Amino acid sequence: MFFVGSFFLFATFLITTCIFVIFSKNPVNSVLFLVLAFLNSTFLFILIGAEFVGIILAIVYIGAVAILFLFVVMMLDIKRTTLMSNIKRYVPVALLFAGIILTEIIYLTIYKSSKSNPSIITRSKNNTEQIGDVLYTKYFIDFQLSGIVLLLAMIGAIVLTHVYRPTIRRQNIDKQNSTTATERVKLVKVNTGQGIEND
Amino acid sequence: MTSLSYNHFFTLSLVIFIIGCFGLFLNRRNMILILMCIEIILLAANINFVSASVFLNDINGQVFSIFILTIAAAEAAIGLAILVVYFRNKGEIDITQINQLKD
Repeated sequence: MFFVGSFFLFATFLITTCIFVIFSKNPVNSVLFLVLAFLNSTFLFILIGAEFVGIILAIVYIGAVAILFLFVVMMLDIKRTTLMSNIKRYVPVALLFAGIILTEIIYLTIYKSSKSNPSIITRSKNNTEQIGDVLYTKYFIDFQLSGIVLLLAMIGAIVLTHVYRPTIRRQNIDKQNSTTATERVKLVKVNTGQGIEND
Repeated sequence: MTSLSYNHFFTLSLVIFIIGCFGLFLNRRNMILILMCIEIILLAANINFVSASVFLNDINGQVFSIFILTIAAAEAAIGLAILVVYFRNKGEIDITQINQLKD
């Protein structure tokens, strides 16, 4: 009974925060509600025993993606009033498509769902151990490929947002390394009381 | 209603998916909200994967959910980079103004 009550609590919060994400006037509020939605789904995952994915969701989404969104929202100077001005035009189309998808999937769940109703099964190993067993053996190539995807995303984001400014003086490492001390420093014999001429 | 079943989580992920799609159609003026709606849709996919994995006692679904997380993070980074470049060029993020790609 505790599990069912917690599920309905977190599910209600999750759906409510997702609705607030869409309907907030201020993008900063949307991002904060998105954080709350991810937190609630983390709770749900931990509730059904998928602790590892739940914590990873919290770390990746709340710690990285939501903060990225927040930075971008704060950096861009968006005129808030113009953004949601003619929202009413799109409500019928959105309702139509949401209704079509909803009826399709309800049809599928009512007429095509399996009769078996499996429940949570207790296991000998814990969740993280089970994931580690397959992630580095069976899914080794996929794991490496997802790393390459992240690297490509990082390079792509840097290339897209990088601005080349020719006026900035940069450090030329090749030029620095190829010079010798004799090109830069000159040893001068200074006589007493005379000083040296400036070249 | 005495115990949790997969149908609960399937219905939840369905509702969240439809909220995400609804937001995609509704917010035609703001590019950041469209990216957030894509994140919500990916969250619905994740909930479906993880709950099916738990209730069928098969760990592969949770591994796939980690891969979905990776792709979602990469997608958010690239999308926000495109958004910043677009804002730098145009001074706004109104997506009804993105019609110069045709020319």
